[in-house]
Amino acid sequence: MTDYIIRRLIQSFIILVFISALIYTILNLVPGGPFDTLRQANPRITQSQIDRLNALLDLDKPLFPGKYCPTIGNKGEPCRFDWGRYLRWLGKVARGDFGRSWTVQTGVPVIRIITYRLGYTILLMLTVQVFALLIAIPVGIYSAVHQYSKTDYAVTGLAFFGQSMPTFWTGLLAMSLLAVALNLFPSGGVRSTGMPGDIVETISNIVTFGTTHPEVAGHEGEIILDGLWHMALPCLVLIYFNLAGWIRFTRSAMLEVLHQDYMRTAHAKGLTRRLVILKHGLRNALIPLITLLALTIPLLFGGAIITETIFSWPGMGRQLIDSITGVDWPVVQGILVITSVLVVFSNMLSDILYAVIDPRIKYS
Amino acid sequence: MAETKLAKIPVASLEGAAQEKEAGETNNIEKATGQWTLVWRRLRRHKLAMGGMAVILVIVLLSWLAPWIAPYAYAEQDLKLRHAAWFTPGQASKPMHILGTDGLGRDTLTRILYAGRISLGVALIVTLLTVLIGTMVGAVAGAFGGGLDTVLMRFTDIMLSMPDLPLLLILSSSLRQFTTLQNFLGSNISVIIIIFVLVIFGWMGNARLVRGSVLSLRSQEFVEASRALGASQSRIIFKHLVPNSLAPIIVSATLGFGAVIIAESALSFLGFGIMPPVPTWGNMLNEARGAPQIGYTLFTQTLAPGLCIFLTVLSINFIGDGLRDALDPRLKL
Repeated sequence: MTDYIIRRLIQSFIILVFISALIYTILNLVPGGPFDTLRQANPRITQSQIDRLNALLDLDKPLFPGKYCPTIGNKGEPCRFDWGRYLRWLGKVARGDFGRSWTVQTGVPVIRIITYRLGYTILLMLTVQVFALLIAIPVGIYSAVHQYSKTDYAVTGLAFFGQSMPTFWTGLLAMSLLAVALNLFPSGGVRSTGMPGDIVETISNIVTFGTTHPEVAGHEGEIILDGLWHMALPCLVLIYFNLAGWIRFTRSAMLEVLHQDYMRTAHAKGLTRRLVILKHGLRNALIPLITLLALTIPLLFGGAIITETIFSWPGMGRQLIDSITGVDWPVVQGILVITSVLVVFSNMLSDILYAVIDPRIKYS
Repeated sequence: MAETKLAKIPVASLEGAAQEKEAGETNNIEKATGQWTLVWRRLRRHKLAMGGMAVILVIVLLSWLAPWIAPYAYAEQDLKLRHAAWFTPGQASKPMHILGTDGLGRDTLTRILYAGRISLGVALIVTLLTVLIGTMVGAVAGAFGGGLDTVLMRFTDIMLSMPDLPLLLILSSSLRQFTTLQNFLGSNISVIIIIFVLVIFGWMGNARLVRGSVLSLRSQEFVEASRALGASQSRIIFKHLVPNSLAPIIVSATLGFGAVIIAESALSFLGFGIMPPVPTWGNMLNEARGAPQIGYTLFTQTLAPGLCIFLTVLSINFIGDGLRDALDPRLKL
């Protein structure tokens, strides 16, 4: 097992280096740069000024190790070997430095932007996954145990519906119906105007015992309720979408288990139906479910690009869209590298968990 | 009776052929039924799949006939009739706007019909290309094994671990800015770019599937037999390994078609996919976000294009589910 984990770690590491190189190359081959808006805003800016600004950001150097001939400033300087931007960037990333934002929040360290947005995404996605699982597991089990009953057909039908409704449609419908027409929920954002603070700042303050802003003090409950009220619609949309997948998965995992011989044995030795299903059935059906759970970790951090955009929820997905439209590559690279790391390691975690939980699986 | 017996036959295994012979001896007419007749017979009993097929047929037919049945041209604007309600009579004795108009006074029904053409066409091309590439990669990796297999599968792993939606957004927004591409592709640039990026990030699942299936088939007797008879590697791949992997490929291609429709709509919805004035269901929904929230715009501009996506994907999923059951030789229906 230790051998397997070490081998997987090395493999994951190599895969990550390749992924980061691919992401870095794709982003840096894109035409246009951080000073495009500057050029548009000020037509009198000259190309040599732009070149000098690019040189400040290291953008005149080659992407990968190779020859570098200075073209700005000391033009007489001879060509020399340069390690390339990618390796320099990778070295900084390894030390936790993702650089600074170019355009959207010029000069702010990427890591600060990401940690700020992370709170909103984790709050939203964690709520969604917890609720989705709390509903999906019992429903999936019931549906499997009563296979081919009317409830089963209704549940599987609903799951099919949920998987075929894209979030951008359900999101728009929920917004038009529940927010605009019936005015039950706000149509976007995290807090109402006039609220002294927002839910994420308040919760993280409480959790970390930070100093409370005098305006916020005493209003914490109010602020959190207001935040939950704003979170309701995006949560509803995402829960419905995630529910479908989880229900189908739980149902098929349970069905698989129900037909096993040990279930019949448990029945035969006189256990009640309830005990057989919960103790012998559910515990075995949960094995694939737990490994799948590990695969959702990247989602908790990566956020939901579409839903966050529709409801202007300031999470990672929203930030990513804004950074892509703003050609803010350091931020985009930071977010993509972090999500790739999470994807690769949650894949590994899921495989390892599988072997740990299920004694029948052996890796060599 | 004889039919249920036939249904149990594991397709393309030697024991299966022996059983078929036995069954054939008892009933000569049943012997003629091929695998696909059987699959169709099983599929026909899957009510949801048949319903899905009917709906898809209607949608495909309506979209295909769009240039002939649509009352307007898809980009034809009437700025005096913006956000018109349903059944608004057209200006100057033009046809009625059955589903009203959008923010630029374009006929919504016309755009929905044309959007179907684009969305379905893009999904069809992307699905065919991903199946083709995935099958090639998977079959080659599985059949040859060794170093080639390792290289191809590690590359597949890398592609699978890439954050696909963000990269789709970046690629489709940035490829558009290359002037050489713009000159070369002309006005269809956003459609071709979307096909390209969806294929690049779409073939990996198929490759893995085919490789797995090929690996399990490779050591079976009928492959060994044809190798012993002197068949070349490419003949074994294309005559034996790929045709016998067809069942899972068909199921995953069907479900993949639905996924491509959603992906294309999502990109177009976010403004990174197919650009107006060319309509797709996704970019129509994006335009609906800017519509005033009057009662009927909810139905004509938000509900209608989304309903098209929903019905198409739902039907495809039902068909895929039915095909999965019909193609599974272990299941008796």
